[in-house]
Amino acid sequence: MKVSLKWLNEYVEVPTDTKALCDKLDLTGTGVEGVEVLGATFDGVVVGYVETCEPHPDSDHMHVVTVNTGAGEPVQIVCGAPNIKAGIKLPVATVGAVLPGDFKIKKSKLRGVASAGMCCSRRELGLGSDHEGIWILPDDALVGTPIADYLKLTDTVLDLEITPNRPDSLSIVGLAREMGAMYRRDWKSPLDEMAAKLELVDDGADDVAVTIEDAVRCPRYSARVIRGVKVGPSPDWMVERLAAIGQRSINNIVDVTNYILFLFGQPLHAFDLNKLKGADGRAHVVIREAEDGAKFTTLDEVERALTSDMTVIATPERGPVALAGVMGGLDTEVTEETTDILLETATFEPGRTSRTSRNLGLISESSMRYERGVDDHGIEERSAAAAALIVEVAGGHVSGSIGGGVGIVDEWPSVSEEAHLTFRIPRFNAMMGANISRDFIVEILGRLGCKVEDGEDADTLAVTSPTFRPDLPREIDLYEEVLRLYGMDQIEATLPGGRGRFGTVSHEQHVKNKVNDTLRACGMNETMTYSFAEPSEIERLRLPLEGLGQAVELLNPMNAEQSVMRQSIIPGLLRSVAHNQNRGVKNIQLYEMGRVFFAHEGKKKPKEREKLAGVLAGAVRDAGWNEAPAPYDFFDGKGVLENLARELALPKVRFKALAADEAPQLQPGRAAEMLSGGTSLGWVGELHPLAVAAYDAAAPVVAFELDLEALERAARPARDYIDVPTFPAVSMDIAFVVDEDVTHERLVQCMISAGGKLLEDVRLFDVYRDENRLGAGKKSMAYALTYRAADRTLTSDEAEKAHERMVKKVCSATGAEVRG
Amino acid sequence: MDASRAAQRVALSGEGINQGGTARACLSSLEMKANAKAGVFQGEMASPFLLAERPLGQVGRSIREVKVIMAITDELAQLREQTLARIAEADTSAALESVRVAVLGKAGTLTGYLRGMGKVAKEERAVVGKTVNEVRNVVEEALEARKKKLAAAEMEAAIDASAVDVTLPGRAQQMGTRHLINAITDEVSETFLGLGYTVVHGPEVETDYYNFEALNAPKDHPSRSMQDTFYVRDLSGEASSVRGESDVLLRTQTSGVQVHVMEDQKPPIYIIAPGKVYRRDVADPSHLPQFTQIEGLVIDKGISFGDLKGTLDYFCKQMFGPDRKTRFRAHYFPFTEPSAEADVSCGVCGGTGHLHDGERCRMCKGTGWLEILGCGMVDPNVLTMSGIDPEEYSGFAFGVGVERVACLKYNVPDLRMLLEGDMRFLRQF
Repeated sequence: MKVSLKWLNEYVEVPTDTKALCDKLDLTGTGVEGVEVLGATFDGVVVGYVETCEPHPDSDHMHVVTVNTGAGEPVQIVCGAPNIKAGIKLPVATVGAVLPGDFKIKKSKLRGVASAGMCCSRRELGLGSDHEGIWILPDDALVGTPIADYLKLTDTVLDLEITPNRPDSLSIVGLAREMGAMYRRDWKSPLDEMAAKLELVDDGADDVAVTIEDAVRCPRYSARVIRGVKVGPSPDWMVERLAAIGQRSINNIVDVTNYILFLFGQPLHAFDLNKLKGADGRAHVVIREAEDGAKFTTLDEVERALTSDMTVIATPERGPVALAGVMGGLDTEVTEETTDILLETATFEPGRTSRTSRNLGLISESSMRYERGVDDHGIEERSAAAAALIVEVAGGHVSGSIGGGVGIVDEWPSVSEEAHLTFRIPRFNAMMGANISRDFIVEILGRLGCKVEDGEDADTLAVTSPTFRPDLPREIDLYEEVLRLYGMDQIEATLPGGRGRFGTVSHEQHVKNKVNDTLRACGMNETMTYSFAEPSEIERLRLPLEGLGQAVELLNPMNAEQSVMRQSIIPGLLRSVAHNQNRGVKNIQLYEMGRVFFAHEGKKKPKEREKLAGVLAGAVRDAGWNEAPAPYDFFDGKGVLENLARELALPKVRFKALAADEAPQLQPGRAAEMLSGGTSLGWVGELHPLAVAAYDAAAPVVAFELDLEALERAARPARDYIDVPTFPAVSMDIAFVVDEDVTHERLVQCMISAGGKLLEDVRLFDVYRDENRLGAGKKSMAYALTYRAADRTLTSDEAEKAHERMVKKVCSATGAEVRG
Repeated sequence: MDASRAAQRVALSGEGINQGGTARACLSSLEMKANAKAGVFQGEMASPFLLAERPLGQVGRSIREVKVIMAITDELAQLREQTLARIAEADTSAALESVRVAVLGKAGTLTGYLRGMGKVAKEERAVVGKTVNEVRNVVEEALEARKKKLAAAEMEAAIDASAVDVTLPGRAQQMGTRHLINAITDEVSETFLGLGYTVVHGPEVETDYYNFEALNAPKDHPSRSMQDTFYVRDLSGEASSVRGESDVLLRTQTSGVQVHVMEDQKPPIYIIAPGKVYRRDVADPSHLPQFTQIEGLVIDKGISFGDLKGTLDYFCKQMFGPDRKTRFRAHYFPFTEPSAEADVSCGVCGGTGHLHDGERCRMCKGTGWLEILGCGMVDPNVLTMSGIDPEEYSGFAFGVGVERVACLKYNVPDLRMLLEGDMRFLRQF
């Protein structure tokens, strides 16, 4: 909400230090979003004196004038205004001035005659609608005076952020009251004085009826009639006030409704009375719900489809003539031909007004106020002030005959009640951590418009909050008012005492921390991608999700690419891989921990699962001066998970080959499932080249996706201690030649089970294939074995015996041959 | 490596790994020293000088004997001088070792004399033995001195030869990085863990009740509209869901976690709840439809607004530095009363609003303050709805936008970078 300090100053003394004022507004809950000093736009516009005025040699309506601007030689200007003549004073825009509308004044030639400036009309300065001629200033205007100074135009306009709980602050008088409370100053409202100007004229016509069909939708609706107005330009003072707060002058009737709206926060609507009238010559205004699907054209010439949630003002003959609280209709608007006006002063239900304006994308000054709540009390006075002002600026008279001779038709089926509250001073002070005096509390609440009386005892106050403050229905709401105006900065900062409290890290959090530490130590970079997904992305990834549930569908997505919630983190990571590769970044190590979502028929809320996913592409780094890292493959991904298994002390971890139909997202033969004690934790492998290509990324991309909750369940909080060996070990090497389908895992299992207690460690150090030497379909697997006895020094004899036994068993179990 | 070769290797763990030659040299040197100590002379092998050229047995005693002794001592003196000269000439450890072997080795010249002592006549042995031992001592000392000198020189040469350009890149393990947003979340969590808070999490897909209603949001609050909140299809089969209406949504704030915790847990409650939240904003440099919030909630007896101030003041100092100030501006949130926004003093201009050259500070737009979080005392309606008596308990709540903190701390110019996964961005933190 924009507020002119000059205007505000009429009702309360506004501090001259604007910076301090803004700070105080900020701290007390009225955010200042902008400060604009008006008058600056008139730089270069000064009071000038027309010394000579000759007809333009090449035009029948223009004149060539010389104007004294108070600085240097008089300037020559070509002027087209009919009322230009020598000897007058006027506003002159000199070269370099910028007029409203970003109109720059430059040196130019008009029909061959040089012109260095412009003689201005009111309208050209944005100070009126009069464009009949240049603005002739009084003779006492001092030549050379900047026009802003001469007209006392300088004003400061604040752009205020009014929180949704404060309908009262969306008006000049509300802000005057607020400022009175902020600075503990008195203020005065112009309402009574303005309303007192109302003169009712008995014109014999009682031609308006109002029916409210639903008191919830419309608690109060009043109509006044002003007859015989002349629609035309507004007086300058009103145009200036409205211009200061960014409102363009339309005509005197519309300007009055806007003026009252900004002054009192009361939206008004002026109908052309005659257009509302039916065949009987009466205007019967009905406030009712709109019919679903009905069409209605608003003032902005847009046809709108209505729903029954919306409230309309209607007449039996015309149907809707206004969207209640939001915007009037095109057909009944005030035009230059209008003579008789029906002036609506009403209140409408906040919620419906809000929905209506949002659903239609029609947010108006009026709807902004109704959706926060307009006070149903004081409508009659505000209506009187508005009607009197219309007569003042547009002539005519206010009908005293309508409403059966009372001059207003006023339906008020639902009267809002004031809230009667008990303010417990000690409780207030305890809850604020303050010691604020009773006197201060009484004063502040009083200045805010509350009625404050002594309570049952010395520690309590009986407070009545006013109907224009619907945000103060409870005691706690009053606490906030006192606190913010006392100053939050005055409250001493303390820390909660509290016994028996300790901060704890849950097992799940602990596991997540370990996962993060481990993955970082593995050189992976954590990232974050959108939780939104594209519906086809799982299919493109070729990821099988049967039985896990369907995608969670957004009813109002931002776009088609983000219309469901993700079911896997991999697509997001793949997009990041492509993003990097497209920018020349080849070495990529990314991981993300986050949720995926699965919906189920019959279930209101989806199942949220936490996943850990990672991708590796390129190599650990580019070749350096002393090493050339190998490109990433399956084993880099698996290595990360092996480290994870170690760090989380996962029991009985194994990796099982996944067949092509089990994991179509992965390249067959380079795909594995990670298990712990038989429970699947997730998968790892090289993504299928088709899946990678579907994301415009370059293969190979190694990826894994684990179920974080399964990891958390499997993770053990501590590892078991194993004695550090005290006796020397015996090392032996062995190479087995086996068929291709004999896995490393199988060989190790055989060795461990056959090796007995003495076999401590088995390490694969070579895999060798050679069709000529080993035969087709064969491979040689070479292992370094460590034999050790826990309680004595193992002799080489003992070790060799155990070794021979083990080798024999392995060979018979797997068909292996020892490579000689 | 050829497996078969290695396969046959059997080694005793812990055995020395000396090269054959060196080992032998060491062993025989030890042997010799041991022999010398025990005073044993092995007479079977004669000195080349004594036995081959001048067999002692063939000559008589007296002058001849004296002459023989003289001749041996002369030979030894000569040997000593020659050896010392060769030692001095040896310019590598290897050359020195060959001198040692030639003189003191198993077949060394001086060893020959030692071994030949048995053949020396008894009465001559003392004199000859003494001389031989003297020579040996002198030679050994010279060898040792020379050895030390050569070793020092060789070490120095080796050191000189192995000097590197220390500005070459190190051989570092490449560490990964934490995402900026989560790094900040960790930092915040740690701060509050230290204050005795527990970290909790809630669902990202919520019902209207937990996201709005139980938080006292007015039924027609604009934030509940389809323009501002993402709604998801309700598959419950309820009548409203059949019509396509839904009260299931992506949470717009982490505040819903408050409600879950208050329902499940009795006060005292001291929690923080970090997590993703969603709002229907078009992604641009300063908006994301998905961002991160950290919610804080305290419910206990006697909690005051002063406690809220003190807690958040401590938090801001932990996050931004001990010299930063905080201020609280009254504000409005449906679920707190009174409500406030907290600002931290601007770190760029030191809270003055302008830089040293007098120019307006762009970071804080000249205000000296940066908005950092929203907070307030928990509204009694919210307590009541969660079954907590507002007359007995009070509390405060706050919500921090993590992306906002990231921007303030690191000047991230475009929030979208946080979700792109650009390695060049991620690796900076």
